[in-house]
Amino acid sequence: MIYLDNAATSFPKPASVMRSVDFAIRKLGANPGRSGHRMSLAAAGAVYECRKALAGFFNAPGPECVVFTLNCTHAINMVLKGLLRADDHVVISCLEHNTITRPLKALEALGISFSEAKVFPGDDSATVSSFKSAITAKTALIACTHASNVWGVRLPIQQICAMAHRMGIPTLVDAAQSAGHVPIDLGKTGIDYLCLAGHKGLFGPMGVGVLITSCGERLATTVQGGTGLNSDSYLQTDVMPEKFESGTQNLAGIAGLHAGIDFLNSVTLKKISGHEHRLIRHLYDGLARIKGVQLYMPAPDPHHFVPLLSFNIAGLHSEAVAEILNKHKIYVRAGLHCAPAAHRFCNTLNRGAVRVCPSAFTKMSDIDALLNVVDGIKP
Amino acid sequence: MKKALFTVSSITYAMKGRDLLSSRGIKCEIHRVPSGNAHSGCGYGLIIYGDAESAARILSQARVGVLNKKYLGAKR
Repeated sequence: MIYLDNAATSFPKPASVMRSVDFAIRKLGANPGRSGHRMSLAAAGAVYECRKALAGFFNAPGPECVVFTLNCTHAINMVLKGLLRADDHVVISCLEHNTITRPLKALEALGISFSEAKVFPGDDSATVSSFKSAITAKTALIACTHASNVWGVRLPIQQICAMAHRMGIPTLVDAAQSAGHVPIDLGKTGIDYLCLAGHKGLFGPMGVGVLITSCGERLATTVQGGTGLNSDSYLQTDVMPEKFESGTQNLAGIAGLHAGIDFLNSVTLKKISGHEHRLIRHLYDGLARIKGVQLYMPAPDPHHFVPLLSFNIAGLHSEAVAEILNKHKIYVRAGLHCAPAAHRFCNTLNRGAVRVCPSAFTKMSDIDALLNVVDGIKP
Repeated sequence: MKKALFTVSSITYAMKGRDLLSSRGIKCEIHRVPSGNAHSGCGYGLIIYGDAESAARILSQARVGVLNKKYLGAKR
């Protein structure tokens, strides 16, 4: 089996991640931050150590800025629904996943509006200008993906944040497809709300997302309940990060995510990213030589793309191509990838695209195997 | 050795405070604080062994909010 669907979720996970999940279930099984006995404190310690690891990895001011969520979508919803008020306007990109567009569409009922800024792949200045032009007097937030989950296009986040801050506008960045592939430094970029999926490039298990912010006090909570803090009061605590973590946390998932971060730190992001980019470049060059293959982006340079690539074969629906690959035990994702806006951008709404995403564990021979099968497909 | 119990606002800040004080050579440990009063905070506190005033200063500089200080004064 060849797994090339790492943009959906990474597989396999490092052995250390599996061991950490197992250890958390077997040995740290108590509820973190609730009781005074040793096992509960040890569980709380595991949660805290993961916060510290994440704060260090993304250069956040401290572990108190790290909020655990169910997934990246949950983190994004928390910010959009906790921050925006009637009459507010939001600027997004033309490449957004439904994780941004659907909550904003729902918020239209409350009088919140949004508009799309066009992205110019490879031309950062044009993209930043496009975002600036979309800002109105009512713009209360810029919310955008760091990298398209369909085309791999990277947005110039640092420049977008700098421009937004000059105009007094906070920024939300959906880093589901970039975290673990691209260095993200909160100190340098100035991102106000960084939303992450734990189970993709960060190698954690499914069921853990993260919001990193030092502006938590500006957000209202969308979920209230037990946090282990101020138990004598009916009022939700306002202390970060627990104010956003009502209910019992996913201890095993958090322990696994910590091991994923440790894995990235030990192998190094530079090495992993370099390996993935070599694979994607090899794939791009190979596909470009096959008659009938349609590529939608220029050759993916690491400054402007994350290591994933989508293509089509003339005359075939993307799902038909994915099914042929499936029969050869090569697993990719076809269709619209929950991102109709990104497909509209390349005019592929009618048949989607075949997405290939390697990981640290993918071999060059895996890419060659995919190229061999694609080469043999007759439209 | 003198002891003090600092109640803090969350288990996260209790652990952050412990790391911070340990790195400055001040011995401390996390301790359960009985809940049900205005200063119960997260239900966890830091027992400080040694110079409580220095510890309070270090925590304040790092924005680790101390809700209540209780000087225990007992021998360890």
